[in-house]
Order: sequence, then structure tokens, then C-alpha cells
Amino acid sequence: MPAAAAAPRAGFPVLEAASLVRDYGPVRAVDHVSFRLGAGEFLSVFGPNGAGKTSLLRLLAGGLRPTSGEVRVSGVPLTIGDRAARARIGILSHLSFLYGRLTARENLLFYGGLHGLEDLGSRVPDRLADVGLERYAESPVDTLSRGTVQRLALARALLHDPEIVLLDEPYTGLDAYAGALLQELLSALRDGGRTVVMVTHNLGRGLELADRVAIQVRGKFVFEAKRADLDAVGLERSYRRAVEGKA
Amino acid sequence: MSLARIRWMAMVLGVLGVAGVVVLHWLVFFWVGTERTMGIVQRIFYVHVPSAWVTFLAFGITALCGAAYLWLRDERLDWAAQSAAEGGLVFGAIMLTSGPLWAAYAWGTPWTWEPRLTLTLLMWFVFVGYFLVRASAEDRQAGKRMAAVTGVLGALLIPLVHVSVLWFPSLHPQPVVLNVEEGPTLDADMLITLMIGLLAFTLIFFSVLFFRYGLEHLRHQRALETREQPRAA
Amino acid sequence: MTVYLRQVAAIVRKDLLLELRTGERLAAMGGLTVLIAILLHFAIDQGLVRMQQLAAGLLWMTILFGGMLGMGRTFEMEREGGAIQGLLTSPVPLDGIYLAKVVSNFVLVTAIEVVALAAYWLFFGFNYGNAPLLLAAVLGVATLGFVAVTTLFSAISAQTNMGQTLLPILIFPLLVPVVIFGVTATGRIFASRPVREVEGGLYLLAAFTVVALTAGTILFRYVVEE
Repeated sequence: MPAAAAAPRAGFPVLEAASLVRDYGPVRAVDHVSFRLGAGEFLSVFGPNGAGKTSLLRLLAGGLRPTSGEVRVSGVPLTIGDRAARARIGILSHLSFLYGRLTARENLLFYGGLHGLEDLGSRVPDRLADVGLERYAESPVDTLSRGTVQRLALARALLHDPEIVLLDEPYTGLDAYAGALLQELLSALRDGGRTVVMVTHNLGRGLELADRVAIQVRGKFVFEAKRADLDAVGLERSYRRAVEGKA
Repeated sequence: MSLARIRWMAMVLGVLGVAGVVVLHWLVFFWVGTERTMGIVQRIFYVHVPSAWVTFLAFGITALCGAAYLWLRDERLDWAAQSAAEGGLVFGAIMLTSGPLWAAYAWGTPWTWEPRLTLTLLMWFVFVGYFLVRASAEDRQAGKRMAAVTGVLGALLIPLVHVSVLWFPSLHPQPVVLNVEEGPTLDADMLITLMIGLLAFTLIFFSVLFFRYGLEHLRHQRALETREQPRAA
Repeated sequence: MTVYLRQVAAIVRKDLLLELRTGERLAAMGGLTVLIAILLHFAIDQGLVRMQQLAAGLLWMTILFGGMLGMGRTFEMEREGGAIQGLLTSPVPLDGIYLAKVVSNFVLVTAIEVVALAAYWLFFGFNYGNAPLLLAAVLGVATLGFVAVTTLFSAISAQTNMGQTLLPILIFPLLVPVVIFGVTATGRIFASRPVREVEGGLYLLAAFTVVALTAGTILFRYVVEE
């Protein structure tokens, strides 16, 4: 089933947000956000704390029900009821989603099981090797360093070969070395043709990998640009103006 | 419904309800005949039964509006469910205090495990759970959904609880003295008084419900007004 | 369907593996079970009452308290490392997550039932009657109903700042049928009464379990989805 669901459909953007709105009671966290991303595109969404970035990402992941609008994966609406489309999405957050008392291998076996994968015997060691963690396969996760855990979390997010990868502040808590290592892995991801959305308040990291950037303030996309039309200084200027409400 | 209309309804129902309660008490103290076997305390019955009725009504409204809220996600349904549950909690408390007062004289013991008593006590606890869930939820929206689930599951299982308690006496013999029932037939004056009691309590309940609903409506409006507006460029 | 079963099995396996590795919940539940039995020994004057007459009631109250203690952590343990978000954004249908949790909790509560039966036999020499299969059926069906209700409410209590403190007030009013029919049916089995005296209670327990499990399966999504 996951294999069939992963077949891309021609003529549709891989990931599409159509006028997404999400209210928490009277508070509007995401306000009419729309975009379309093709295969291999990398969108970085910047914004201050409380701008609704995480809500947006959770909407895209299908973990949050939109108040109105919808998310489409290759043209297929992602609804709460139909869970198959989730097989095409992988999520890497600053939380690892891993169980500290289980080993690296057991955690991956568990996530493979959630996706109903059958070839876990070979897939799990392969993926551990991809992120350079073969020798930690039998180590409980709570004995690993933060950077190692984050690499393992990436292996978990990619275990089922998702076409879409969602990143929620993946650099939080990483030191410079671990951050650089993750950066390498993420750029390999983009070059591998996956569609990526990253939300972060870290302008530098976000700009390095992005093809497109957006700035979200009070739920809205107030600024959007292509990477090619922008440099670090320009982004910072736009960001400040957006946050101060002058965009 | 507009806020003005809700207020107006609540006022009208409230005035009628309070008038009804005044009339009820006049009837209870000066008009209705004294029941032969139970004597004067039987008059508590005219407050007890209407509050029990309203508690059941509130339970039904809470569960139905809760289920509809889960289905439609219309905030107004949640306001209605919450307002009804508050009424249920208050009238349930009236019922649970007036009942034992009466029973202490009429049955010689303040509490018996008579099925209806047990049912209403357990139902009252479902209301308590409903509000504890709402109040302690880390996320307000989740609190509304979880309270609704509590109400709906309560309403689904309470009939089974009732059936179990009903059959319980047949499983364990009960002392016969405690199996006293209210009089099966009522004299006309008692029936009229009871009916007025039921009407008055129902009116008051709906008045409170509308007031409470209006309050939630206001809170919502206020929250919308104070919502941070994007500053103009 | 087979994918669904594989997904449910993955969660059950993970839960049981975690339990085997840490033993946290089992140790707390089993400990409480044995300690309740010990305290009851000192709380009840066995010169006045024969413990055997109270056997079914004591056993069930012990199971309810011990079971609640462990099941209260069902979803709290998923919050470590944000694992619950991984579960909720995975392709596993939400009812599958609920059913998996019911299965792993059922295994846990069954384990403490064995502990309770052993402890009461050891301390008080309880006689459990001569129909072990029937006893297993009654315990199994009643436990499933108990677990179905408690698992749903543990998902609720995990999302409140009261945590497990909230559980008893939510579940006990609804568990009255489990207590009434669980205690009467097991009491009669302990007294070696004929099967037909137990059947009625068993069917009612089954009815309760079916309603609770169905309602839990349907309502669970409203508790966790946002």
C-alpha cells in the first residue's frame, strides 16, 4: 500500500497549500497561506516566535485539521480520515519522536512497522549506514548525543522514502559540528529530488538550502521570494521590515 | 441568534421561572394537601423531582450538543453543551441535597442504593468530570473536544450503568424497608403542584442556559475584537 | 487490512518491548496489587468476617486500582521525545492507535490479575472454584471493558495538567457495571455455583465491553486530533 500511494501523479504540484487557515478559538494561527511546490523544491519559511510556523508545518503534515482550505499531496487532499497520503510525508522536528529506552534499530523497526513496510531486515541497516550510525544500532537512544539523535531522527523521517520532507527547527540544540553535519545530509536530500519545507527562525541556515523563501508573520505569508533574487543582507532587511509590520 | 435576542429570551424565561418558583412555594406551603404516610416532609418532593428532571434534561443536552460539536465543530454547540452542563451540575446538587433530607425522614435513612438515586449520583459525577477535563486541559480547544467526549461516552454508558444497578437488588437481596417508592398515584392537588414545579424549574434552567450561552457569545466577541490586528503599512 | 494489522502489531510490540525493558508500569502495578493485599490483611478483622466471602470484591477492587495506576501512563509515556506526534502523523489510522493501546494495556492488566490471584491465594488461601476456563472468560471480558474505558480516558488525562489524578473521577462512575457483574460472576465461580448462574453476568459484561470498545474506537480520534 505505501508503495502504491507513493506513485507521483503527473500534472500536479507535489505539495500544495490551498488557502490554509487554522484558528485556535478566536486566535488565527495560520491565515490564508497558499503555495505550490514541485519535486526537488526547497521552501524555507521564516518568522518570529508565535507567527504560526509550527502550526503551518503540522497542517502540512496532517497532524492538525485546517479550519478552512486544504493541503494536497500530488493533487490528493490530505484529510484526517484518509491516512494513506501520510506515507508520502516525512517529518524531522527538534523533537526526535524516538523512544529513549529503545535502541536505534528498534526505533527504526517500530517506525517501519507504522508504515507497514515489509523489507525492514535490509532497509533499517541501510538507513543507519546512510546517516553514519551503523555502530550505534544496538545503543539505546538515551545514551546518544544530541547530534547523533538528530541524525537518527533524520533516518527515521526518511525510512519510508517520502517524497515530501517537513523540517521543524531541525537545528535546535545542535552544536556547530552537528549542525554542519545535518546541513550536509539535508542538502543531499534536496539534490535527491525531494520536496522540502523547513520552518525556522534561523535566517542563515534557512537561506543556505532554500530555492524559495517566505516570511510568515501573524499567520500570513507577508513576503515571498526566490532564492536567486535574494542575498543574506536582503533577506535580513525584508525580515526586519516584515516583523515590524512594514512589508 | 443575536446577542440581544438571547438576552431577551433569557430575561423572559427567567422572570417567568422565578414567578413560577414563587407560586410553587406558595402552593407547597399553603395549598397542597399533606401526604398521609410521609407527612409534612413529603413537600420536599416538589423541589426534588423537578431538579432531578432538569438534571436529566441537562445531561441529554450536554451529550447531544457535545456529539454535534465533535461532528460540526461549531463553537456555538460547545457553548450550549457547557451551559447545559453547568445547569446540570447546579440542579444535580439541589437534587442530591434535597433527596437525602427527605429520605432521612421518609425512609429513615438519608441514603439508599435505590437505582434512581445511584444513577443520578453517578451522572452528577460525569458532570464533575466534564468540568475538570475542561478546566485542566493544557490546550483550550482540546479541552472542549475532550469534555464533549466525556459527555458523550457518559451518555452512552450511563444506561448500562442504570440497567446494572436496577438488576443489582435481584443479585443481592435488599432490606425491604428501604425499598419504599413514592406514592404511585398522586392526588390532583399534588399533581398540579408537581407540574408547576416542573415547569418553573425548566424555565429557570433554560433562562440560566441562555444567560450562560450569551456570556460565552460575549467572550467570543471580545476575544475577536482584541485579536491582534496586523498593523497598517 | 493486513497493513492495518501490521501497524497495530508494531505499536503493541513496541509497548510490550518498552515494558519488558523498563518494567516501570508492571513493577508499580504489581507492587500496588500485592501491597493492597497486605494492607487488607491488617485492615479486616478476620475473626469477624471470612475473607473468602469477600474474595471477589477484594480481587476486583485491587484490579481496578492496580490497573488504573499503570494505564494512566499509556499516553504520558508517548510524550517523551514527542513520540506521540510521530504516531499521530504516521499513516496508522487513529482507531488503530487506540486498539493497539487497548491490546497492550489488556496484556498488562491481565498480568497483574495473575499477580493478584497468586497473592490472595498465598496470603488468604482463597478458593477460586472449580471452573478455571469460565473464570478466565469472565476476567477477560470484564478486563477488556475496563481497559477500553480507561485507555480512552488516559488519552484525555494525559493532555491535562492534572494528569492521572483526573482518571478515577472520570472512569469509576462508568465502571459500575464492570464491578457489579464482575464481582457477582466471579463470586459465584469462586463458590462453584452452576454455570447458568454466571452466564447472565457474563453476557452483560460482554454488552458493556462491546459498547465501550466501539465508543472508544470512534471517539478516540476526537481526543487526539487537533
